[in-house]
Amino acid sequence: MTFVVVENCIKCKHTDCVDVCPVDCFHEGPNFLVIDPDECIDCDLCVPECPVDAIYAEDEVPADQRQFIELNAELAAIWPVISQQIDSPEDADEWDGVADKLALLER
Amino acid sequence: MTKADKYQPSEKGQAFLDTVNNGKYDRQIITGMKKFMEGNAPEDMKSFYTTVELQAISDLKGTAKDVEARMPVKITRHYFELAKDSKPIQVLVKASPKETYDLDGAADPGKQMDYSPVEGLIHKYELGLIYVASTCSAHCRFCYREELIARKEVERPDGTVAPKGLAQIREIVDYIQDHNAKVQANGGRHPETGREKLREILMSGGDPMVLSNRNIAAWWSALAEAGIESIRLGTKELAFFPNRFDPSFFDMMDKFHSNYPGTKIRLMVHFNHPDEFLLKDADGDYIENPQGGLEWHPDTRRAVEELKRRNWLNIDNQAPIIADINNDPDALRIMQRELKQNGVENHYFFCGRDIVGHKAFNVPIEEAWRILNESQKGLSGVETHARLSITHYKGKTEVSAVTSDPLPGVAGAENGFVVMKLLRGAADAPDRGKVTLLGRNPDAIWFSGYDDRVLFDEAGLFTNARKTTDAEAVQKAS
Repeated sequence: MTFVVVENCIKCKHTDCVDVCPVDCFHEGPNFLVIDPDECIDCDLCVPECPVDAIYAEDEVPADQRQFIELNAELAAIWPVISQQIDSPEDADEWDGVADKLALLER
Repeated sequence: MTKADKYQPSEKGQAFLDTVNNGKYDRQIITGMKKFMEGNAPEDMKSFYTTVELQAISDLKGTAKDVEARMPVKITRHYFELAKDSKPIQVLVKASPKETYDLDGAADPGKQMDYSPVEGLIHKYELGLIYVASTCSAHCRFCYREELIARKEVERPDGTVAPKGLAQIREIVDYIQDHNAKVQANGGRHPETGREKLREILMSGGDPMVLSNRNIAAWWSALAEAGIESIRLGTKELAFFPNRFDPSFFDMMDKFHSNYPGTKIRLMVHFNHPDEFLLKDADGDYIENPQGGLEWHPDTRRAVEELKRRNWLNIDNQAPIIADINNDPDALRIMQRELKQNGVENHYFFCGRDIVGHKAFNVPIEEAWRILNESQKGLSGVETHARLSITHYKGKTEVSAVTSDPLPGVAGAENGFVVMKLLRGAADAPDRGKVTLLGRNPDAIWFSGYDDRVLFDEAGLFTNARKTTDAEAVQKAS
C-alpha cells in the first residue's frame, strides 16, 4: 500500500507533509506534489499535516480521485525529491477546495 | 474545510509560529506485515518474526480474525532494537494470532461518543480530550484506541455510524470559548450541563508527537489564547522514538513558554516496562549506574533530562497493566523507582479496557491490583503515588483495595471484597469519592464480571441507565 496525493494539492502545494516524511518520498512538480509508492512506508505521518486534506491511503482514495494513484507513481519517477518545506504559493488559500484542478496540473 | 472555516492565528500567535522550525526525523518505521512476509525487511529485522508466526498471521489475512485489520502493525527502528532483547516488548509490539482468538469487546470502550459534543473532542470532567492524530510511531498491540487507529466505524448516540474524526483547531477553540463564556455568565457552572470551566485540554490520538513542531505549536498557541491553563500531551514517543525530543522541539517549547507563560505543559508519557528505557548487559540484567540507580538508554535519558530542565512542565507516566508485558511486580517496582528518581511522576496504572480482542491482553482486575500493590512493597512513599484506575463510562475509578477476608454478616462477601472509588465523575465533579463494594471475582476483567455481586453502590457504577449525554440533555431542555 501507499499514500496518495490527490487533486486538492494542485496549486496549493503547502509542503507541510514533506517535513514529517521519514523517508523523503515526496516529489515536487511545478504546482503539485506526489508520493513515490515504492518509497512510501505507510507511516501515516503526512496525512494530519496537510492543510487541505489532500493525502489519502491508497485504499481510501475517493472514487472520483482514483486516477491520482497512477499519476503519483508516474510523476514520482520524473520529478525530483523534496525533503524540506518551502513557502506555499501566495494564492494557495484561494485554490483550496476549487473543483476540477487537474486540468491546471503543470508537468 | 473551506478557507473561511479555518482557524486564523492571532497576530501574536502567527508571530510565534513564524519562529518555529520543524525537525527531520529518521524513525525507520516498518508498517504492516508485508515486508516481513515477503522477506523485504532490513536484514537484521528479518528474523523478528519466525516463519511459523508469519504463517499463522498470514493464514488469518482477509478473514474475520485478520490481525492487521483489528489493529495496524507498526514499529520503529529504536523500538525494534529494544525489542530484540526483551520478551515483554516483543509482546507489546509484535502482531499475534492470539489477538483475534476471541473478538469479544466494545468498539467504543468507555462510550466516549456519549461525551463528544464536537468531532474529535471528548468533554469529560473539567477536561477536554482531543484527538489530533490517528497514528503513532509504532503501535501497541493492546491499544485501546484501535478503533481510531484502524479507522473503524463507531456508533454515535444519535445512531449514526462513522469513523472517529480528528479535532480541528477552529472547532475546538470555538467550543471552548462558547462553553467558558456560558459558564462565566452563569456563575461558574454551565447552565445546561452544570459543568465547570474548561481549563485543561489533553491532546491525544494517536500520538501528538508524530505531528510536526509547527503543527503542535499551532495547537498550543490556539489553546492558550482560548484560555486553557494547562495542556496535557499524551505520548509514547519517549519509548518509541526518544530522538523526536530534539533541539528543534525544545526550541519550540521554550518559545511557547516565553510567549504564553500562563499555560503549562504536562507531558503524559507511557512506559509499560523498564526494558523500554533501561540498558541490559549480556546476561539480560540491568546495569548499575555508578552514579546511582540504573543505566538508561542514552537517547531516552537525554530526552528526559532536557524536559526536566524546564521547570514549567510536568512529566507523568501512566500505563495499563497488560498480560505478558508488565504483569510483573518486580518490573513495575524497578520502573516506578527509576522514573521517580529521574523526575517522572508515576500517575496511573490502568486495568485494560474492554476493547475488541481484550481477552488476549487483559489481566483480571483483582490480579492487576495485587501486582501493583506487590510492586509498591519496598518503595518509598513518594515512589508509590501511582494508583490503579479503571475507566468506567461514568468516570475515572480507582481500584482501591482487594481483601481476602470475609466481611462478617454480608452475603456475597464470604471470599472478601473489592473496594472501588470514583475519582472523577465523567459528567460532573460532585460524585468524587463515592464508593462501590463488590464481592470477589478473581476472573473478572471488566465491570460486567461483578454484575451479580454488587454489595454497595454509592458510586452508581452498576446502575443500568446510561448517563444522559449533553446533546440529549440539551434536546430535552429545548
